[in-house]
Amino acid sequence: MRNNVLIIGGGPAGLEAGANLQRLGYNVLLVEHSNTLGGHLGKWDRLFPGGTPASAALDKLLGSMDGVKCFTDTEIQSINRLGKSYNVILSNGITVLADAVLVATGFDLFQAEKKEEYGYGIYDHVITNADLELYFKTGLDTRINAPRKIGFVHCVGSRDEKSGCRSCSKVCCATAVKQACEMKAAFPDAQIYCFYMDLRMFGRHYEDMYLEAQRDYGIRFIRGRVAEVSENIDGSLSVKAEDTVSSKPLKVSLDLLVLMAGMRPSVSGQRIGSLLGMQNEKDGYFEVLSEITAQQRSSIPGIFLAGAATGPKTIPDTLADARGAATQIDKYLSDIFPKAKDLKQLIKTAW
Amino acid sequence: MIYEGKQKIWSEYQKEIPDDHYFYVRSCIRQSFFPASEAAFLDITRKKLGKDIFETEHHTTCGGIAYHSDAIPQETVMTIIARQFALMAKYGYENYVCSCITSFGLYCETLETWREFPELQKKIAETLWKTCRLDFAKPKYIVHASDLIYHYRNQIAALAKHKLINVHTGEPLRVVEHIGCHYSKMFPSKGVGGAEYPYVLAGMVEACGGTVVDYPERRHCCGFGFRQYFIKANRGYSLSNTYKKFESMEPYHPDFIVTNCPGCPYFMDRWQYVIAEETGKTYGEGSHGIPVLTYEEMMGLVLGYDPWDLGLQTHQVGAEPLLDKMGIQYDPERKYLGAKGKDIGRPACPSCIR
Amino acid sequence: MGKLYDLLMRDYRLKEGLNACINCGTCTAVCPAAEFYRYDPRRIVDIVQSKDEEEIEKLLRSDTIWYCGECMSCVTRCPRKNAPGMIVMALRSLSIDLGYFIDSEKGRQQFLLTKDLCSNVLNYGYCVYPRLFDYAGHPEAGRVWEWEEKHLDDVFERLGANLDGSGPGAMRKIPKEDLDELKRIFDETGATARMENVRKAAEKKAAELGLSMEEFSRQVYSETGPQHYNH
Repeated sequence: MRNNVLIIGGGPAGLEAGANLQRLGYNVLLVEHSNTLGGHLGKWDRLFPGGTPASAALDKLLGSMDGVKCFTDTEIQSINRLGKSYNVILSNGITVLADAVLVATGFDLFQAEKKEEYGYGIYDHVITNADLELYFKTGLDTRINAPRKIGFVHCVGSRDEKSGCRSCSKVCCATAVKQACEMKAAFPDAQIYCFYMDLRMFGRHYEDMYLEAQRDYGIRFIRGRVAEVSENIDGSLSVKAEDTVSSKPLKVSLDLLVLMAGMRPSVSGQRIGSLLGMQNEKDGYFEVLSEITAQQRSSIPGIFLAGAATGPKTIPDTLADARGAATQIDKYLSDIFPKAKDLKQLIKTAW
Repeated sequence: MIYEGKQKIWSEYQKEIPDDHYFYVRSCIRQSFFPASEAAFLDITRKKLGKDIFETEHHTTCGGIAYHSDAIPQETVMTIIARQFALMAKYGYENYVCSCITSFGLYCETLETWREFPELQKKIAETLWKTCRLDFAKPKYIVHASDLIYHYRNQIAALAKHKLINVHTGEPLRVVEHIGCHYSKMFPSKGVGGAEYPYVLAGMVEACGGTVVDYPERRHCCGFGFRQYFIKANRGYSLSNTYKKFESMEPYHPDFIVTNCPGCPYFMDRWQYVIAEETGKTYGEGSHGIPVLTYEEMMGLVLGYDPWDLGLQTHQVGAEPLLDKMGIQYDPERKYLGAKGKDIGRPACPSCIR
Repeated sequence: MGKLYDLLMRDYRLKEGLNACINCGTCTAVCPAAEFYRYDPRRIVDIVQSKDEEEIEKLLRSDTIWYCGECMSCVTRCPRKNAPGMIVMALRSLSIDLGYFIDSEKGRQQFLLTKDLCSNVLNYGYCVYPRLFDYAGHPEAGRVWEWEEKHLDDVFERLGANLDGSGPGAMRKIPKEDLDELKRIFDETGATARMENVRKAAEKKAAELGLSMEEFSRQVYSETGPQHYNH
């Protein structure tokens, strides 16, 4: 008898955990509320720091999913503790008895229109990081029209108590530097500015990427948060910030402004959290049992967490977190269902 | 510019504005420089719309200008405000309408501070009793007079004699709206439309057929700056800020400017005169400036009040080009007459602006 | 914590207006004063939060804190819910209370502001009284005000006001009992004491400079040095 594991969320965390748990010999069922697997990764063009195509990364994840049962367009209708397991009813009418549940519900992008003074959805040439990735993929966006001056605004919906988002979204600095270089490559005559508060280039090779942006792409980094955007009569944008290094207010005219929309706890994930009675931390993401030693465990036995459901993460962070969750789940199931473990051992030795 | 994006924001910032029964308080600057505007507000609300807007001679300044010129301590201004609120309650009202944006912002700030620091509220209540023998009270609703006109805008538009439409071209008039910093910059949720795209004046303009011009320095301060105007040595601050706004709005060729705050129309009117006299530059057609109106003056014109009853003769920038566009008949000979047709002379003509 | 910082923290505007500043510069970016004067509100907040007594005292004695126009545009923008404009107001109050305001050119202007605005409130019940708003002192008020000033009663009557009249109305005469209440509020809440302190400090300064109060007033009202401007 193999244990059943239910994974909620079909983004990178869910996919990576699913593949690993399947390899460990569990019966894995993955439920995704949207109509495609891959989450935000499916909408991205290239990944920092090295420019790996997002589609290649996603194909690799999907290619490892042999044997994992996936339901897309499917919601969790109810989930209730039943003995050691969870009785789960899905919106497609199927009932599952899951011995462990992995919540990998990810994040939503911050709705950039909430940062009203930046005019997303009002000014014609204000777009988001996600819009720009879609443009890189498709080459289509009427708002991008041979821009000669481009600005990237860091921390949109991050580190901002007015937007109700105190925390850092972790990936935006590196994304902005990546996208700035890509735009320079696409529009070699353009002057590109990054407006930042602190450049959080924490990962391996990120500092190199920053250096290249300055040295090879001529990106100008201005230490000041954008305070206000307005539209000029010719449709260009007037952007105000302080250059805090020289202590001077600064106003520049730009043809395109890219808002680095941050990460917020996903709304659909919050619904799952309330079905399960899970707690959130102050930042709105799910509480973990220990932020140092038990990041993938919730305070509810048998409920595990992976990926951006417990706060902003890069793709490699997310995948490592998912593999960690798979290990944690394996340990839990072996401890709680020892007979099943014996069976597993038996199968392994028998075969 | 995507209009629907603004509409979405407007729909999120609609504050509750009671329909009737208000305790009314005047503004230091509006009654001194635009007394006819306050008269028009009362006439429109009381006579045209039949509302109960009560005024007592016992109310005073809120102290806001002195407070923002750092001349009086916070406790002083709070106690004066408490006295105003106590008078409201004493006369049996719970809705409070003020004629000044500085006051409105200060009332919002004071109520917020009292909420956050109950011990301070208690102290102010005690001081109020000790100094004035009045019982402490707080309004249930507090609105600016423009909020009320906004609230009644469709009723007013239904009574309109003139639209904000150029009668010669049939085109909507192009209107710059200037909100006044203290209306919603401190407390966005207290203002109709919020802080970034306020709708209180835009709503009036649209209801009356006009179209609003959005220009890059729309949100910028008129430059009053309290001490930055009162002290002659500082007035360059005030002038340079108004100048910045006019340079920014110039390419849009606005037909007029409508203002929310009592101070802004004075500065945006008078500094145009100074810019013209100093540099010869005017921002309207030919040697005209851009007329600057209070919202009461704008709605008064729409309702068919005589421009000279509304006090447009006391502006330095002549409103005649606007009156002509709106198809409003006026008698130039009566422009500067006193009450009952008394001849009181006329101002000297500026050399560069009409 | 130092003494000046402690005094500042008694001010409700500071209690409400100062959380930890992240030095992002959104306040300075939209500040009307920052473009005109050599002025950076971000630096002011940073100095206050540093609790550096020496730096705070320098600030309280400087022109810097008097450049703000109190428009509060900065309040909308701060991502940490600080209110730089309110912090400036608290600094100004302390500078006045300690008598430090008299050390700077822009601070000395407080003498005229306090004298004129307080007397308007106490005598007329409003901060502005049109009979005291003279064209000579305010040439930018235009030729129209030059005319209006000469015919103030007629113009106010024409416009439906009640200048110095009884009962309600624009610029009515405020009843004596109400002005008495304002005076008692001033006495009780420190406004009268502030008026006295400011007056005494100004008289002392005028004497130091060898100026009569009239000369001192004229200088404070009209004169300013070139060092303030942001070129």
